[in-house]
Amino acid sequence: MKNITYNKDFYRALQDIVGERNVSEDPAVTENYRCITAQSSAHYGPYDTRTPKPQAVVLPGSTEEVQQIVRLCNKYKVDFKAASTFWAAMGFIGSDNAIQLDMIRMDNVEIDAKNMIAVCEPFAIGGTVQVEAMKNGLNCNIAGVGCSSSTLAGSAGWVGFGPSSIFMGIASENLLGAEWVLPDGEIIRTGTLGSDGEWFCGEGPGPSPRAIFRGWTGTAGTMGVCTRIAIRLHPWPGPKWIPVRGTAPAYFADGLDNVRAYTVCYPDWDAYAESFRLFYEADICYLAHRQFNMFGRDIKTAMVEIFTHPEKQFCDLPELMEDPYIKEQNEQMKVDVQIVLAGFTERDLDYKEKAFDEILRQVGAHKSEYYLQQDIEDFVKLYLLRLARKNYNYTLCSSYEGNFGLSPNVFVAAPLMEEAAALKREWEQTHTGVAAVGGDSDMGSVSGIGGGGTTGWEFFVHFDGFDKESIYDSCAHIDRTQEWMTEKGLGADFGRWNADVRQPNGYNYTQEQHDSFYSKIPQPALAEYQWKIREAFNPNRLTGSYYKTLTPKEFRDGDNK
Amino acid sequence: MAKKSMFDMTPVKGYEKKLEDFFPMERRCSNCLGCKFVPFEKIKSNRFGRNCPSVWHYNFNLYSARGRFQLGQNILEDGSVRFEGQALDAIFNCQACGACDVGCKVTRFNLEPLAHNIALKERAVEKGKAPDALNAVAAQLAKQKTMLPGAKKADRGAWASGLKLKDISVGKETAEYAFFPGCQYAYDKDLQKKAKSYVSVLKKAGVDLGWFGKGDMCCGGRAGQMGFRKEFEAQAQANAVVWKKAGAPKIVTPCSDCYYALKRQYAMLGIEVEVVHAVELIAELIKSGKLKLKKAVDLSITYHDPCRLGRLGEPFEPWDGTEKKILNQVHTWTPARPRYAGTYGIYDAPRDVLAAIPGLRLVEMERVRENSWCCGAGGGCSVFNPEFSDAVASERVTEAQATGAEAIVTACPWCEKNLSGVTSENGTAMPVVDVIDLVAKAL
Amino acid sequence: MGTKDSLMAIFGRNGVIDDPDILASYAENQSFEPRFAPWFVVKPSDAGKIEKLVKWANKAGTPLVPVSSTGVKLRGDSAPSVPGAVAVDLSGMKKILNVNRQQRMAVVEPGVTYDELNKELAKQNMVIPGSLKPKAGQSVLTDVLEAVPRLNPMMQWNFFDPLRCVEVTWGDGTRMFTGEAAGGPLDLEAQWKKQQWQVQYMGPWMTDYYRLVTQAQGSMGIVTWASLKTAVKPSVHRLYIAAADSLEDLEGFVYKAMWTRFPDELFILNRAQAASLIGKTEEEIKRLKEALPPWIVAVGAAGRELIPEVRFEARSKDLIDIAQVNGLDLKEGIAGLSGRALYEEATSTDDGKVYWKDVYAGGHRDVFFLTQLDRTGEFLRAVREICEDIGYPTEDIGVYIQPRHIGSSYHMEFTFPYDPDSAAEEARLRSLLETVSVAVSDLGGYYSRPYGRWAGIQLNKDAQSLMALKRLKGIFDPNGVMNPGKLAV
Repeated sequence: MKNITYNKDFYRALQDIVGERNVSEDPAVTENYRCITAQSSAHYGPYDTRTPKPQAVVLPGSTEEVQQIVRLCNKYKVDFKAASTFWAAMGFIGSDNAIQLDMIRMDNVEIDAKNMIAVCEPFAIGGTVQVEAMKNGLNCNIAGVGCSSSTLAGSAGWVGFGPSSIFMGIASENLLGAEWVLPDGEIIRTGTLGSDGEWFCGEGPGPSPRAIFRGWTGTAGTMGVCTRIAIRLHPWPGPKWIPVRGTAPAYFADGLDNVRAYTVCYPDWDAYAESFRLFYEADICYLAHRQFNMFGRDIKTAMVEIFTHPEKQFCDLPELMEDPYIKEQNEQMKVDVQIVLAGFTERDLDYKEKAFDEILRQVGAHKSEYYLQQDIEDFVKLYLLRLARKNYNYTLCSSYEGNFGLSPNVFVAAPLMEEAAALKREWEQTHTGVAAVGGDSDMGSVSGIGGGGTTGWEFFVHFDGFDKESIYDSCAHIDRTQEWMTEKGLGADFGRWNADVRQPNGYNYTQEQHDSFYSKIPQPALAEYQWKIREAFNPNRLTGSYYKTLTPKEFRDGDNK
Repeated sequence: MAKKSMFDMTPVKGYEKKLEDFFPMERRCSNCLGCKFVPFEKIKSNRFGRNCPSVWHYNFNLYSARGRFQLGQNILEDGSVRFEGQALDAIFNCQACGACDVGCKVTRFNLEPLAHNIALKERAVEKGKAPDALNAVAAQLAKQKTMLPGAKKADRGAWASGLKLKDISVGKETAEYAFFPGCQYAYDKDLQKKAKSYVSVLKKAGVDLGWFGKGDMCCGGRAGQMGFRKEFEAQAQANAVVWKKAGAPKIVTPCSDCYYALKRQYAMLGIEVEVVHAVELIAELIKSGKLKLKKAVDLSITYHDPCRLGRLGEPFEPWDGTEKKILNQVHTWTPARPRYAGTYGIYDAPRDVLAAIPGLRLVEMERVRENSWCCGAGGGCSVFNPEFSDAVASERVTEAQATGAEAIVTACPWCEKNLSGVTSENGTAMPVVDVIDLVAKAL
Repeated sequence: MGTKDSLMAIFGRNGVIDDPDILASYAENQSFEPRFAPWFVVKPSDAGKIEKLVKWANKAGTPLVPVSSTGVKLRGDSAPSVPGAVAVDLSGMKKILNVNRQQRMAVVEPGVTYDELNKELAKQNMVIPGSLKPKAGQSVLTDVLEAVPRLNPMMQWNFFDPLRCVEVTWGDGTRMFTGEAAGGPLDLEAQWKKQQWQVQYMGPWMTDYYRLVTQAQGSMGIVTWASLKTAVKPSVHRLYIAAADSLEDLEGFVYKAMWTRFPDELFILNRAQAASLIGKTEEEIKRLKEALPPWIVAVGAAGRELIPEVRFEARSKDLIDIAQVNGLDLKEGIAGLSGRALYEEATSTDDGKVYWKDVYAGGHRDVFFLTQLDRTGEFLRAVREICEDIGYPTEDIGVYIQPRHIGSSYHMEFTFPYDPDSAAEEARLRSLLETVSVAVSDLGGYYSRPYGRWAGIQLNKDAQSLMALKRLKGIFDPNGVMNPGKLAV
């Protein structure tokens, strides 16, 4: 173990680097950077705990400042973690001898319109990157986490797929050049950025060093601090800014004539899966997501009614749920998905509409009439295009955790859906901690990879972050669904994805604990190599246990610090 | 206890009153960043995408509504943070502009971040932890019935000299409308002219106008925004006494701060008063043909929505419901509790007036209406922390300059004063005028 | 035990080749880099033997150089740069392990060529997105590992598409799968039983292992299978061509067409490159060079299984309209060159005898790098000026520009035909290549695939990447047995 080495000298050095106003060890500030995990669980928990309190919080304003801070941390052996929008527990530190970097001061976005590139600093969020892109007829992939999250964090730090991924690819695929302050304080600039200061390619030279900065999940803040990235932008055939009509909060996109939003109603899950294959092959979707089912099979239409009528609130839910028309809509949309088509020309839109209709015909699906109403369609367009209402994940009960996860292969997952839904429905009926919304509260991306091929599945477990019983019951429910996932051979439940990288008490795991986990995985080499990578790039092991490592056999009984 | 009259102070039921009442909200906040950014669908640029001056300026999460929710938990749950140091700094460096409130309510149905921020201030004041500068302001209010430093009660009526306004406070004369200038118009030499201008224009259009004469006082609203609840309530009660005696006229005020105080803050205390902002009345007069604007004003302007006329200017709605969980864990307020999302603030009236001025060209800033960027003066910040207040104003001037307009127009003396003379990020200032200045030119 | 005995212990008595002529053939290549004949050649048939081989090589300190393609070696990456190496010839590993129509995936061994794979894929109406006229013996796996650009950039959401997962034996002798495949057992059959089709290439955690074997010239490990994303074969297709007098004239159209994503294939050729691609003889190439316009852009429109005609019509008409707006006339053929013929040539392999770029003058060398479309003109002018200075005929320079990764970057390739039997021409070309290589880099051309001399040029500009590569090499190939001398690490 490292010695506890945070001290006043360290703090004064931080002040020298960023200026007094940009660093604090006042408890009011440092307590503010503890993640209350039940309120922001994101595939970890939910637990009624907080992450450890940082010794100090520092707000760097430039890459150079970040580098100096990281070097200082290495000198004093103080753990650190950087985060920007702090949406999930992974952005927060996991030990007592640590400082938190809040990247809020670095929020610049620059667009190269011709070459369809945006260069983003950490606190540029999806929503602002997107508006800057749209001014130039461009758009960006916004991960399912929503437009309120840092584009850079999604690209460097976590998975990064969402409704737009089928057309625009996922964060990893869009990542071009990037600038990283490595955990040891060195700066690396990937691809073209390293040699010529250009952003357009993040690969190479030769075997891509970028391999170690951004795999499938991203590095969750463990591979130093990513300070700038370039992302590839994508075509946007709409106006320079999407006009919004309506009364807050019932906003609707206005006048997007060449964009169409549909909800598809399927006869069964087989049809659902087959349509995905056809959507992938036809390459017609601009956005594709199973979205509003996240509220639950029995209440989803009522929720959309509430969101589109500003005078309505949740106390109206019971009455809405009993409305025969709404009940009928829910029945039709038991198995559903939202699809947005965008026409780059009239012919293009015509083709996409025809192809879409043909796919629906082939699988025996139909378009939801409810969602064809102008206001509802315009609500869906705005929702999915801007992904501005990510907080609706939380709206129902104030907190949620995603669970199940099923399989990325839609043909494996779809046949299991009703069984999973029944399990959840039973829990809702026999327990009170989880919102009773009709069992199936699955949502997810039609494609977890550019062009299609993998699918995201995530049941929403809505619980009340204020109510401890609700928190505990949700946690128990996810333990149960993990058992079910294990029985089915489906691996980690989504709600437990990060269970191996942070302890339920909010602290990092030790190497010994990680060794006990990862020595049992089917191919332990991938964890052993990550151990070696960490030793090479993060010799002082300063960024916490989100980085999954297994001490290689040759060191397991020997020098393991 | 039954209410005796519309001016009796009987604080409304239902809404949260003290910090502890907000504890469930503190835990139910979902850290969505709605209190740091303009509602995301409405963001028009990265440059002007932020909504909260406090966290924009200070950057630490603590200075956002989310941060203050977390601070509240620290204070209430385990005492890990006390009213000292940066906790106090964050509590009082808040303009109470309500942008966080609007942002929050786009997606949340059961959080009140603005009211929570003020509850934090109130608790700090109760504990004697308010900054000296604000304590002085509150003392000034108690003593001189104004919160402007150095101003004397005896000098308050000077602005009205020569106007021959009916003094309705003594119960001899009556008027349909009482002109309630507010402290800035009453005391500031430059602004006094504008107050006169308002009065002249209204009278010229045939409005039956009086004022409270020696009974004219500060509305006290700002004290409430600063957390000085006791002083605010005392001042409100004092005004209510005067107004009752004057026959409960409708009140017209050119000050957005006063407007908000009377429309919302007084209403929360149970004091019911009919109030209009002067620009609302002028808009009506134009619409009804009683006021005709004929002269061209060749100017390109941008309109700054004052927070307390705009998003905070929504009418108060009483509510006395209960909270209940349905579907196991869905928290509801039954019946539906009013959501002050800024939708029904006063946005169109000033724009209608400006649109009626021949030759005037309005170009909008990115952050307008319920998402307007605060001028920086709110919540006592211009007194307590001018550096912060000026930085916020500078940001607004920068945004105004980005429109290409030649001048900023507003409808609040606090905004006008705070924006005037402040330079943008380009180092240049912009003329700032009141709506009435342009109306007077166009008459 | 001697080296040969050790190798025979793994590969059998007949599995170890030391015939000098055969050994010499493994050194032949079309680079000007130093090369050595290998000490031995082995021809593994499975990954288990490779694992043993690499472990042995680590103990013995013997360099290993993987080779997968047959025929002319263009870059010298598979020719040993050091003496005493063992060439690991994988060209005999020709199994197409899996073809899955539902997922449009194929899993291939290193020896599988384009023709072999496409023949198999065609049975299920699929095709592998290809590079520009690969040689007949080109390993598909090597082609995608080495990130040779695809004609259809629209199918590259990821830079390395269609490459997905691989099985790799790292330089330290550890064998693993990458991406989605690393999450399951080290057994493809077992994964397929669970309907895991090696679709998702990232990670599986925070490290993109597969990226470490891309553009690596065999310097990190030996790949023994790769899963590839295939495409549905077009049922209706046309390659349109537009002519232009200058590269700049094409820019507006290409940017706009890439923005819409309407094209299937999209590539730019100058007249010399187009003539070489089409012409079968020197004379024919000369004739074509005179007939063809200075520049052409080729754009594919296609329809597949779902309402193919509607898609084809929409794409065709829109692309023609976009061309028109940008001052180009997009047609089915120009100046005696039909789009159909160009498509046939571009998407087929060569005859396996003379590489198509060698037909004109007997030999050729390429200089290629990544840039952005609006910068290609600068490189063109610079290279022309160098050629003029050195006395190389500018009309012989072939140029191929290929958008990749949905247009994020553009592969720009200069081809310099020359007579390899002429010492003077060779000397001139050596000088030219050196000057051009340096000039391109000075202008910001990016050698993402740094073969030979380019490795030094590129990595000298980027100390941090070089340091990172060295650290990574130290992890995955700690004893430096994998193709030493490449990549300057």
